[in-house]
Amino acid sequence: MINLKDFSWSVIFIWVALTGIGLVAIYSATQGPVSEFLPSYIQNNFSRQLTWIGISLVCLIAIQFTSPRTFQGVSYIFYAICLALAILTVFIGIEVSGGRRWLSIFGMRVQISEFLKLATVLAVANYLTHTRNVSVNDFKTALTTVMLILVPVIVIIMQNDTGTALVLLALIPVVLLWSGLPYGISLLIISPAIIGYFSVISLPIGLVVTVIIALTIFFLQKIPWLSISSLLLGFVVVIGTEVALQEVLQPHQRARVEAFVNPTLDPQGAGWNVLQAKTAIGSGGFQGKGFMEGTQTQLRFLPEQWTDFVFCVIGEEFGFIGSSLVLLLFAALFLRLLTIAGIQKHPFSQLVIISVTYLYFAHFVINVGSATAVLPIMGVPLPFVSYGGSAFLANTLMLAICINMHLYKRSFSIYR
Amino acid sequence: MQKKRHSQHLKTSIRILQAIVVIGMIVLFGRIIQLQIIDYDKYAPLSRQNSIRMDVVNPARGLILDRHGTIIVDNQPIYSITITPAKFRMDKLHVLAEILNLPEEVVLERVQLAQQFSWHRTSRLFTEVPFEVFSAIEENIWRLPGIGNQIESKRNYPLELNASHALGYLREASREDYLRSDDIRLGDRIGKSGIEMVYEDFLKGNRGTQYLQVNAYGQALGNYNDGQLDISPIKGSDLVTTLDADLQMLTEKIMENKRGSVVAMDPNTGEILSLVSAPQYNLDKLSGRIDAEYWQSINADTLTPLYNRAISSRQPPGSTFKPFMGLFGLHLGLVTPEKEIYNTGAYIRGRAYRDLADPGYYDLEKALAKSSNTYFLWIMDRIATQGHLNDWSQKMKDFGMGISNGIDLPFETSGIMPDSTYLDMTFGRRNWSIGDLMNFGIGQGLVSVSPLQMAVAVSSLANGGYRVQPHIVHAIRDNNGTLSYTNPQRTKIDWVTQENLEAVKKGMRGAVTEGSGRFYANLPDIKVAGKTGTAQNPHGQNHGWFIAYAPADDPEIAVAVLMENAGFGSISAAPVASLVIEQYLKGEILRPHVLNYVLNFTPREETPADDDEADTEAADE
Repeated sequence: MINLKDFSWSVIFIWVALTGIGLVAIYSATQGPVSEFLPSYIQNNFSRQLTWIGISLVCLIAIQFTSPRTFQGVSYIFYAICLALAILTVFIGIEVSGGRRWLSIFGMRVQISEFLKLATVLAVANYLTHTRNVSVNDFKTALTTVMLILVPVIVIIMQNDTGTALVLLALIPVVLLWSGLPYGISLLIISPAIIGYFSVISLPIGLVVTVIIALTIFFLQKIPWLSISSLLLGFVVVIGTEVALQEVLQPHQRARVEAFVNPTLDPQGAGWNVLQAKTAIGSGGFQGKGFMEGTQTQLRFLPEQWTDFVFCVIGEEFGFIGSSLVLLLFAALFLRLLTIAGIQKHPFSQLVIISVTYLYFAHFVINVGSATAVLPIMGVPLPFVSYGGSAFLANTLMLAICINMHLYKRSFSIYR
Repeated sequence: MQKKRHSQHLKTSIRILQAIVVIGMIVLFGRIIQLQIIDYDKYAPLSRQNSIRMDVVNPARGLILDRHGTIIVDNQPIYSITITPAKFRMDKLHVLAEILNLPEEVVLERVQLAQQFSWHRTSRLFTEVPFEVFSAIEENIWRLPGIGNQIESKRNYPLELNASHALGYLREASREDYLRSDDIRLGDRIGKSGIEMVYEDFLKGNRGTQYLQVNAYGQALGNYNDGQLDISPIKGSDLVTTLDADLQMLTEKIMENKRGSVVAMDPNTGEILSLVSAPQYNLDKLSGRIDAEYWQSINADTLTPLYNRAISSRQPPGSTFKPFMGLFGLHLGLVTPEKEIYNTGAYIRGRAYRDLADPGYYDLEKALAKSSNTYFLWIMDRIATQGHLNDWSQKMKDFGMGISNGIDLPFETSGIMPDSTYLDMTFGRRNWSIGDLMNFGIGQGLVSVSPLQMAVAVSSLANGGYRVQPHIVHAIRDNNGTLSYTNPQRTKIDWVTQENLEAVKKGMRGAVTEGSGRFYANLPDIKVAGKTGTAQNPHGQNHGWFIAYAPADDPEIAVAVLMENAGFGSISAAPVASLVIEQYLKGEILRPHVLNYVLNFTPREETPADDDEADTEAADE
């Protein structure tokens, strides 16, 4: 029943391309002249990444020999194991700069939260499709779905990894939207995030966006009380953001937010990273400064340039050509995956592929948005490009599963 | 039906997600176009500035050499640690203290001092630190925000030669200096006195710049662009001075613990061989970090060590003025070398001016040798009554007395050689009479000169009537070794004839062989000619003068010595001058007893005893 035409060569091609670009950037960021200023464990990042890519490739191929049904079958167990390990990490994890995110397994540092994302996606998809009760109009189903996501989020927050937690939290509206939640309500659910973002930039813009969202919800659902509650919720968020900025936030947190809004205010302090990241990308120009020639990168002006700021390395050394290539590859990946999702027969496959796409997209937007100062710096890796073995493996596994589902879509049917 | 609706919902959901992806992509695409294409011109320089640091490279200051080419001033590198208090983080104090290898309290004290000085200006935290400390700071500079290091140089004096008033000291440029010239940066040290000040522009050289590649921690990684943009500093020009290091060292030794000045010069050229103003100050102590306590002490010292007595002090020349009076008398025809004037023990003109020389007839030679006041008072009387006052003043100025001689040192006094205008100003118009002028004849009263002026005057006499311009710098040697010579003036004093000069010179030789100079200044195998003098001091002990040149028939050195509050010149100044002459012409001191006498000299109470100069009695009331 397998038709090799269904094997997503395009997705594989994108995966190879992004991985290659990532390797080049990581090499430059850790093996270039900059290595002089780096501790040796960071200099080893490049070879470690190669190892993880090797492992991931094996997994990618191996997974193609299983049936999509397997993922359905193991999803709850996998979820339970990952959650247990994640909780374990909170207590016995390796502490690095204030967060316990890594667990030492057979001498390898593993970031469980990366796998927990995959597990959550599978578990939620399985839950919502197993009963064939794909409607979330049933309140109990909706609540369970939310809980399935919320528990990992809390555990990840306890690991002090707010970025990843936020990404996972925002999976809720996507899943609910897919499972039949009206668009207006989906919008209502994500509206606090949108309004909050604009409120941080400026209070009046926040208010305007609140009104626009309320109007959109009315237009979508034609339910006045929904729009009114959206409006009220919006105002609460706007005021809450303002109060949080002025009163609740710790000075260093406030500094980070202010640095995002106006990095030149304190170029040596909180605005430093933002300014250096923008400078790196901006000074790359059209052609870039050349491989291992970027002064911002090689003179160590960028923080975490092999993970969270890897996009700056590409932007600086390969210029607009390099950074737009990365953007185009990601755009192609997302659109291709969404198309694949649309032609899946089995709702499980649909939901998994959509969720995976969404996770990639969220990481991509936050990472590139941080590096280009469109968003406050949140610190999430760029899928396939950033250094990080667990993340690479988890992301590849997700991709492998998507490819697998597409490959077996004919044999994987709800009617069987 | 339900399934269809669901399928429709799925399609729409995917459309929405696709739309979100497209919108997100457009936003980010727009952003990178904005950053990398539109704002490239803004960020490219920013990244260059980030990674390139322009450092000023200070040139080495020019050396100072003596007349034989011996280096008397050079430079020595010193390592400094700087601090910008506003950027410094107090919680790093223990790290800093550990690297500096100093107790934390000491470092804290210095940091607080820097904070009091200025929060935003970079100031020196510690200077003259060992090289190991300097490099340890460089290594750890990224851990210590606000801390910097720099190599500076300080003046070094390799010989035991101070010459503080000739060489001068350097100090940090004041705000006024900084505003006056864009060549001076705040914190630069510039010459503030002596030839260091006068020749500042030659000595300082040209500042260089170098561009260094730095990393985010501020650590320098090497030259930017292989140093192609760098401008090398140009070393300051060296000064070849006219000073004689050996002579200067002797003069300084002699003048230790004394007050006064010695100026020795080559009478033919005006080259200063030695110049000492005592007390001196210690150049070494002012060369590195300014020792605030020392600076305060020399400023507050009542003996005013910073004051250059040799060129700035004004004292009546006393009897050392008599040779020039004699020359002018001869010039006017008031006297001839043969004319004799009778000394009765006092000269009467309105009142009695006492003359301690033995009563009897005095011709010019004897009047100079025995320092008879009568002879010169008689001349002054004629000058005043016959209306030659202004001519006299002018002719005396031709010898360099009462005018500025243009030495290459700052703060030279012009002295006073009164003429009618000056007297009108001092006493009121026409409100002065002959009684105010008589004292001028014996170098007292309003007449006042600096030791330098007397050295110039005696040189002009010795060299056959040429006025020379005193100078310390003979040549300036630039970076390529090219010498450019200074161009001191030498002008014939046209009214001085050889004949008249010979008469006066004979008298001056007599003053050393028979007169008051015979005790200490009459060297066995060098013919010295000179004249003692005593400057009246209404505020205390009189000052002793001696002017001399040698050898008498072909002078190679002229000396003027003023010993303040030391009494008669014959016992205070003359021995000093004789030692200077001996050292210069013989290269060594052959009369250790005289040296010992001078070194242990303490001014005595004034008792005329066998000293036949006593112009002190010519009271100037």
